[in-house]
Amino acid sequence: MTRTLKIVVQITFVAIFLPAVVRADDQDVIDYREHIMKTLDEQAAAVGMILSTAVPGDNTAAHLRAIALTAQIALKSFEPKVLGGEAKPEVWSNWADFSKRMNEFAKKTAEMAALGKEKGSDDPALGEKVVDALSCKSCHDVYRKEKK
Amino acid sequence: MTRWGHFAIGCAILVAATASTLARADDQDVIDYREHIMKTMGEQAAAISQILQQKAPAENFAIHVQILAITAATAKKAFEAKVLGGEAKPDVWVHWADFAKRLDDLTAATADLASTAKAGGAAAAAPKVQAALTCKTCHDTYRVEKKK
Repeated sequence: MTRTLKIVVQITFVAIFLPAVVRADDQDVIDYREHIMKTLDEQAAAVGMILSTAVPGDNTAAHLRAIALTAQIALKSFEPKVLGGEAKPEVWSNWADFSKRMNEFAKKTAEMAALGKEKGSDDPALGEKVVDALSCKSCHDVYRKEKK
Repeated sequence: MTRWGHFAIGCAILVAATASTLARADDQDVIDYREHIMKTMGEQAAAISQILQQKAPAENFAIHVQILAITAATAKKAFEAKVLGGEAKPDVWVHWADFAKRLDDLTAATADLASTAKAGGAAAAAPKVQAALTCKTCHDTYRVEKKK
């Protein structure tokens, strides 16, 4: 094999396999942020069931704490600009707005969790605080692709 | 049959049908609620696994473990209502003492993991992860295998 042919083979090899490696890394980034967002979904749904009295409220404070902790790390998981999953490209093209919303979400859910711990699920103020903190839809409408 | 006879039978059928529907709705709430909790643990365990494989940022490790510990502590309560269905096998309630003990063990192990991670980070807690997250041993006994 000539030297030129070797180089061509090497370039071809890199061209074939490098994108696969990049795609795998990108999928990890997408999977990771989706684990975080799905946790928020599941916990918010559990809180919704408690507030609608469909299930007992014994675990309320724990659910609110789980949401607050998850919200705290959510923004970090979107920092790598990797398009895909349910995130719209606007997450990164409007990063200042997206990150502001996520920071507000983290702040409000922390306050919500503190109130839940202090007052318990029976306090009327908690319901209002939860509704205010978990305004997921307003952000999803702008930054999340609708699930098929 | 007299007119009153028809009326009485009609009322009985209506009451039976309505009560049955209501019972199903309540039962579905119980199933949905415990599945929100179990899915949260699934998402968090997956995120922790990604971190340990260096596919996600290690700085969030302690928080994921904390969320897992908080959620594990809510799980037993969610299964106390004996409602068959979802992915739970009937054996959950047939062998409640064993099931409850396993969930208590999970709660204790994840709480210990969270303390270790908070104090020493992922490096200190990583060796304990495998012993703490023995999800499969419990799922093999108490969870209906998902259809693919």
